[in-house]
Amino acid sequence: MRLVNWFTPAIALGRIAWLRTVLYLFVILDMHAFVRDTRDKGEHPDLYQPLLLERLLHLPTPSVANTTALYIVLIVACLIGATNYFPRIAGWIVAPAFTWWVLIGMSDGKVDHDHLALVIALWVLPTVGGARRGRASYGDQTRSEAAGWAIRCIQICVIATYFLSSVAKLRSAGWALTWPGSAVLTWAIVRRPHPVGEWLLHYPWVLHVMQWVGIIGEFCSPVILWLKGRWQLFGALFFLGFHAANTAILLIHFLPTVVCWLAFAPLERIVPWFQARRSDHSGETEHEAEEGREAQQQAGA
Amino acid sequence: MRLGPVGKGLRVLVAVVGIGLLINGSVRASDDAWPFGPMSQYAMSVPDDAKIDYTRISAVTDAGTTVDVPLNIEGAGVARAEIEARTGEIVKDPSLLQQVADGWARKHPDKPKYVKLELIRDTTQLVKGRVEGPPTSQVLATWEVRP
Repeated sequence: MRLVNWFTPAIALGRIAWLRTVLYLFVILDMHAFVRDTRDKGEHPDLYQPLLLERLLHLPTPSVANTTALYIVLIVACLIGATNYFPRIAGWIVAPAFTWWVLIGMSDGKVDHDHLALVIALWVLPTVGGARRGRASYGDQTRSEAAGWAIRCIQICVIATYFLSSVAKLRSAGWALTWPGSAVLTWAIVRRPHPVGEWLLHYPWVLHVMQWVGIIGEFCSPVILWLKGRWQLFGALFFLGFHAANTAILLIHFLPTVVCWLAFAPLERIVPWFQARRSDHSGETEHEAEEGREAQQQAGA
Repeated sequence: MRLGPVGKGLRVLVAVVGIGLLINGSVRASDDAWPFGPMSQYAMSVPDDAKIDYTRISAVTDAGTTVDVPLNIEGAGVARAEIEARTGEIVKDPSLLQQVADGWARKHPDKPKYVKLELIRDTTQLVKGRVEGPPTSQVLATWEVRP
């Protein structure tokens, strides 16, 4: 039973509300900045190579009509979902629509690996119900196991992105640990040349240290799921640093995964923290006013 | 708010099946299984004496200049990764390069048009894990652009 309950911790609904707003707005950004060639593929379906899911579901070949419709539906549903009004209806539209959007974007022989957590997040968010709508939902402290399950699924997918990367590195070498000592970063930099990387080409040992740190970090990443408080924050910061280094060296940002780290953050505390600060602040001014009166009385005495 | 036994059971089942699909994908599937495929970005072990290939497309324009085709969405509407993934097909059927010229012409109507395209592979040699000398170039396919 403990194992079962691990999948459904009781977490405040406020965190879901924040995640909805951030992730649905992020989807709009993603459609324009990252997976942004879906509509181009509708204009030129000649390079279209449907992926397994597209074949299983008999999804139609991208066309101008269906990719434009998909674009409009996604923008409207994301904007509605982000407000936390009708979040479940909007969410059930966004999840399949964005999955299809990304599938088309990746059906050209090249698949990116940074969208797992985001896509799964979109599928689990609408499973969470809640009494409060709109602005009131961000501060909702009602703890819900349904919310906890959704959060846990996103967390698992974020961590899986790293852990399974280390598995893929072992598998590609025939289940051997040759990757960290290989010239993979040199290879990557030669193919994506830019100043920071080219400078590092002179120091292959630095690249090897980075490869070791990377693969050990990825392999140990599941520990973060069981860490608490400050230690979990350190784990998250390690991987954010990892992405910063990847961005500097390889120009690979993984932002769709990075944004999902927010599932680990106690976002539900934002509203109470803000309210406490405001009431503290007004409390202070009252206090000052009182001190001021006392001072006046003393001066008068 | 607690979940009922059915709601909880279903959710845990979905999570366990999902984890199973992810592990299956990483152990035996390919990118085709997205989103349950392996996380294989930069996962290969590159030997210290590797030849590093870099594929690009060089274009002769109607202004008589030779330029490297910008292989991204804003440039010719096609990404380098797509070209690299389909190099074999392009070598067999160079007419696939026509759409690169079409993409460029459509996105940049005011710039010189491409009249001839060459798919080129630059090869950099590693020696003991270090880059040795400048890359050598090889033309893989040539296509006279149809107007």
